[in-house]
Amino acid sequence: MTAQPVEEAREGLRQFPPALGQEFEGALEAVQPILEPDELGQWLSDGLDIARHSLRSWEAASEYFRASGLILEQITYDRMREWCAVGIDLMETSPALSGALFRASPAVLPHLSVPQANDWAAQGKSLYKGTWKSGSLSAQYFDVSPQILPHLPLSQMRLLVDLIDSLASHSYELASACLGMAPGVLSQLDRSDRAPFLEFGGIVAHTAWVDARVYFERGPSALRQVSEEQRPRYLSLAGQVAMQVGRLGHPYFIEAAQALSEVDKDIHQGLLELSEQLAGHSGDAAMEFLKSSPRVANRLGIDDIARWQEFGLQILQQSRDGGEAFFRLESARGEEVMEALSSRVDLDRVSELIRMYCKALTGVDVGVKASEELTAKGVGWVDESSPTTEGTTIYLPENVERYPTKDENFAVYKVFATHQAGRLEFGSFEYQSDLEPVHFPDGQNGAHTATQNGHGNGVAPAVVDGEETEIHTDMERFFDQFDDRRLAHDLFTIVEDTRIDTIVKREYAGVRRAFSRLQQAAIDRRRPVEDMPARQAMVENLLRASLDEIGRIRWPNELAEEMRTPLRILNRIRHEGATVQDSAAATALLYEWLSQIPNVELDSEDWSDFEQEMSGEPDSGEDSDMMPGSGSSGLEESFMPFMPGSEERPYDSPDPVDFRGDFKPELVQLLMKLKGETGSGDAPPIPLSKEQLQELLEKSVEISINELMDMDLAESSGMFLDNLLKEVNQIQGERQEGQQAMGDDSTGAEDGEELPVEAASFYYDEWDFRAADYKPRWCRVQEQRGESGTTNYYTETLHEHTQLVQETRKQFEMLRPELFRKMKRLTDGEDYDLDAVIEWYTEKIAGGASETKLFYRRNKVERDVAVAFLLDVSASTDEEIQKHHDQRQDDQFDDDPRKYLSWWAQRRAEAARHPGKRIIDLEKEAVVLLIEALETIGDKYGVYGFSGYGRDNVEFFVYKDMDEPFGDRIKERIDKIAPVRSTRMGPAIRHCIWKLQNTDAKVKILMLLSDGRPQDHGYGRDRTEKEYAIHDTKMALTEARREGMVPFALTVDRAGHDYLKQMCQDMAYEVVADIESLPRRLPALYRRLTG
Amino acid sequence: MTTATEPITEYRSWAVEEFRLEEEPYYVPVADEVEVFQAAWNSKIPVLLKGPTGCGKTRFVEYMAYHLNRPLAVVRDGKTEIEDESNLPLVTVACHEDLTASDLVGRYLLEGNETVWIDGPLTRAVKAGAICYLDEVVEARKDTTVLIHPLTDHRRILPVEKKSQLLQARDGFLLVISFNPGYQSALKDLKQSTRQRFVAVEFDYPPRETEAEIVQHESGCDYDVALNLAKMAEKIRNLREHGLAEGASTRLLIYAGRMIAEGVSPRRACQVSIVWPLTDDGEVQRSIEEVVSSIFED
Repeated sequence: MTAQPVEEAREGLRQFPPALGQEFEGALEAVQPILEPDELGQWLSDGLDIARHSLRSWEAASEYFRASGLILEQITYDRMREWCAVGIDLMETSPALSGALFRASPAVLPHLSVPQANDWAAQGKSLYKGTWKSGSLSAQYFDVSPQILPHLPLSQMRLLVDLIDSLASHSYELASACLGMAPGVLSQLDRSDRAPFLEFGGIVAHTAWVDARVYFERGPSALRQVSEEQRPRYLSLAGQVAMQVGRLGHPYFIEAAQALSEVDKDIHQGLLELSEQLAGHSGDAAMEFLKSSPRVANRLGIDDIARWQEFGLQILQQSRDGGEAFFRLESARGEEVMEALSSRVDLDRVSELIRMYCKALTGVDVGVKASEELTAKGVGWVDESSPTTEGTTIYLPENVERYPTKDENFAVYKVFATHQAGRLEFGSFEYQSDLEPVHFPDGQNGAHTATQNGHGNGVAPAVVDGEETEIHTDMERFFDQFDDRRLAHDLFTIVEDTRIDTIVKREYAGVRRAFSRLQQAAIDRRRPVEDMPARQAMVENLLRASLDEIGRIRWPNELAEEMRTPLRILNRIRHEGATVQDSAAATALLYEWLSQIPNVELDSEDWSDFEQEMSGEPDSGEDSDMMPGSGSSGLEESFMPFMPGSEERPYDSPDPVDFRGDFKPELVQLLMKLKGETGSGDAPPIPLSKEQLQELLEKSVEISINELMDMDLAESSGMFLDNLLKEVNQIQGERQEGQQAMGDDSTGAEDGEELPVEAASFYYDEWDFRAADYKPRWCRVQEQRGESGTTNYYTETLHEHTQLVQETRKQFEMLRPELFRKMKRLTDGEDYDLDAVIEWYTEKIAGGASETKLFYRRNKVERDVAVAFLLDVSASTDEEIQKHHDQRQDDQFDDDPRKYLSWWAQRRAEAARHPGKRIIDLEKEAVVLLIEALETIGDKYGVYGFSGYGRDNVEFFVYKDMDEPFGDRIKERIDKIAPVRSTRMGPAIRHCIWKLQNTDAKVKILMLLSDGRPQDHGYGRDRTEKEYAIHDTKMALTEARREGMVPFALTVDRAGHDYLKQMCQDMAYEVVADIESLPRRLPALYRRLTG
Repeated sequence: MTTATEPITEYRSWAVEEFRLEEEPYYVPVADEVEVFQAAWNSKIPVLLKGPTGCGKTRFVEYMAYHLNRPLAVVRDGKTEIEDESNLPLVTVACHEDLTASDLVGRYLLEGNETVWIDGPLTRAVKAGAICYLDEVVEARKDTTVLIHPLTDHRRILPVEKKSQLLQARDGFLLVISFNPGYQSALKDLKQSTRQRFVAVEFDYPPRETEAEIVQHESGCDYDVALNLAKMAEKIRNLREHGLAEGASTRLLIYAGRMIAEGVSPRRACQVSIVWPLTDDGEVQRSIEEVVSSIFED
């Protein structure tokens, strides 16, 4: 019944390649059971129609057959016809597309309803532009549809198609690649982000199509850095910006997202709102704002950020460039406003202040650094946020943001610093076993084991071997006496901190209030005593007492007596004149008392605040009262009734007190000893074997090591040891270097060795004329000494210019008589002015004299001039003055005298024709001549050169520093003046200003010698822009003038007039028209300038 | 000069060589400087006082002039009389960079149709046998330092070139010069040929308690305040050569003490009389103010 149509169809298909027939047979098998006979007929004729449609349409038919079965599993035949009609329609456009559609259909159907087919197909069709490439892109569309549609509703598919379409207009390869990536990309995105992602993508495709691939690759992961709810918003913002900024849009998108990832997610919304406000004015500003947000948020809360942004917005409205620089944090204003809004105090802003403050208090050269730097050294300190000292430097947390105002936060720093300085000033690290305590009876110094062992002063040699005892510090031997080092250490810390705080408050009454505030805060944070076992509770109470808070001690009433004795001991340390020896003695006493107290849970109903009077008068106690055992025999017994279980609990150190910070006296003493800074003064550092140290350390710093990290003790102490030795060696190295530097002039001159040329870095602002503001710390100037050559150059130059040298020298010498200027006609002075007297006398005889101004005085006009010469040694100075000069061919004569003669003759002839000098050579000659002249009049002078590449590498060469005496060294360095790289004048001038500031002279001159306009990488919008560099240079010269210096610019660039006029305005400048006259001109100019 | 307690309504004037201290100047010896000076005076060796500004050099000279006695028979206006003066006259010359030899020795002045010779302060001191104190001598011009050479060795002679005279110094005459090695530039150092003609007394700021005593006495503030001021000065002096050219002088402390005694709050008093005079550097000012605020409560 159905056989006939089937046979007919088979027959019809025979004219096509056999593959189609096979496909048909397969499909028939699948379809036959499902379809009614008339439907089957229909199906067969549709298939044949497709196949016969056009030349290659049999392929589409083949897809049709193959898909049929799968489609019919999902929808009825009627619906399938409806669906396939769309594909058949597409035949008109391209059979290949039609095939692709059929191929995709089974997989697409679960995501689309049949009526949507049209829309779906139309989108694919829209990509087809009648070309082969567009055809394959369109086909790809159908192919990937099954993977895309699960992620993207058909309604949003349009966005993707538009994007791809837009890309295709530039590059089909790119479009195809992106389309291929689309499923993967979309699957990574949250549902709600997909449409915005594609919308922004559309803009990127439009404005910066080459970035599209990167966007597809990195976009999703970039977007994940933004807070989840804010992602669509971020994308739309990025889109808005991209429309304005074009190609920069996508990099901004990536960078700003990266920046946001560094900011707390909670404020993303706020930041985006603020950024959106900016986007209306400047897309750049909006994105720069986001990029700066990590640094800003680090300093300001979101409310203050809003204020900061508002400030910048105002600037932005006045000047786009200014506002953008503000948000890039490249303007001093931006930093200033931020600083003003923030209540946080940063250490790097106040470290110099604190350093001087501590130096004033202690009288020693202490450094002030961030605690992190100490912990990074890994020498035993581990807490990055607490203040401490290792004996030479005070380490403080990087910033303080505890209170709502800057003043209060600074006060916190001050308390930190004062306490640490107190340790240095009042000798916390000067414990010596052979010194006696002041307020404690002798013999208690190291009471415990010492008295039992019969060692008089409490010095218990820790190690029997005499050699090894030597390497132990006194502090360490002290701790060695106690079985429980941790307890002893904790007690010593409490006692010593009490002593320091007491002295500090007595000596520095002005910081009392700030101190008390921190003490109060510290005590409020403490854990409840009641939960602690007995011994620990007692230590905790002692610590509370040490914070001046007797009232905050909690202790069972029944055991009040047992608490009173230790408190009395602690109180005694507050007596005036107490030393660290007293602290040690007190520690020993306390240890003895506390070690008798079992560390077990206390069970008492009667915990109460310790009454002030219960602690007794601080002074009332007799010495005997403090002696353990004498007042209350059997401490343990008194505790018995309150101990339900007798289980000994492990002892924990009390929580540290923040403002006191870390206290590691044994380490400090060890470091000092290793550095050779023991009490004995300049004793040489003790050479220790690693083994000795290791043994020493394992015992003494177990606490620190345990805290250091959880690795094998031996391993960690080994590492610690390495660090420690490194630290010590470094300091010794520095010291040796210092000595070398000091002896440089005397010893160095003999062996001719110079210290290694090491660049020192200086940072300078740069003027951005567009923003009308400085970019803070924008340029790094690397100061280094010029290389040394030989003195020959100098001598030869002098020789070459004998005549000129003599002339200039004479001219300069003539400056000297001018030093004394005779002032005539004075009423009083050195002596009579003969002319005036004769005149007066004549007049008198003539009878009408009234002139009484008959004296003269020679006023000494002191010549007090300092001048800094700044040479441009950029690459352009390498240019020869006459281009066609051949390189001198040195050393081509071997040792053959005949060859030499001919070479010499040739060279002379050539030299006669071409002097062949470069600009730099003339600069050098001019410098040589000037130096000769300057030496005759004794002005202070420095000779510097500058070059460099980019803002962080401005090279500044010192050929002769202001205070350096002239000599062969200088001559050698002048020899090596050579062209290097670019010309970034501003920072070099600023560094010169700094040099002159540090020179004492009445007249200060800054002479800039260049061969052309300033230019450098990034010195302006691009390499060709001149404005920026000129403005910055001008500003630097103005700064010099503001500092009371006389800037003078000299150029050998004939075109110099145009920009020098702009750069110098009313300042003096000169263009040396005839370059070769420079050596003659420079000294003359100088004379005119200072005469 | 004199610590007059009664109100003085009119100025008083002396001829330079006749100026004598009538009341004992307040001076607290720190070490053996009094004995050294006495010995030098006895043996006619000139004295060089070295020390930072405001540490009491001038006061010391006044104190010594008051205490050195010279009961001698002298000839005045042709008559011999026994002077009953109880102390030495003191001629003080503050040296400045334009101070010339003529300024010290003397010069002819016109008076009507005649010229009159007027002795300079040094000549007067030589004649009167006074202590001549050249304060900050390095400030003076080089020719003046050469001028004093013959006066400082065994000859004790002052050549008066313009009059072609040589003056032998009268007994009692002693040349005292002061200089502050700290602040002058290298150019203004005292020449070896000059410095090696003197015995030198080095001054430094007194120890804390002594300084407190001085400040209390001179300013009339409480001892506690004075002690705090002295303590503060000690701290500030730690900054010498580290941002500060000179430490806070005792003189400044006394000013601060007076301000406080007048009712100015201590922090403010220290600011106006110590911090601001000391330095213009903002950061250094701030660090000193922190020291001040650590020591003084509001």
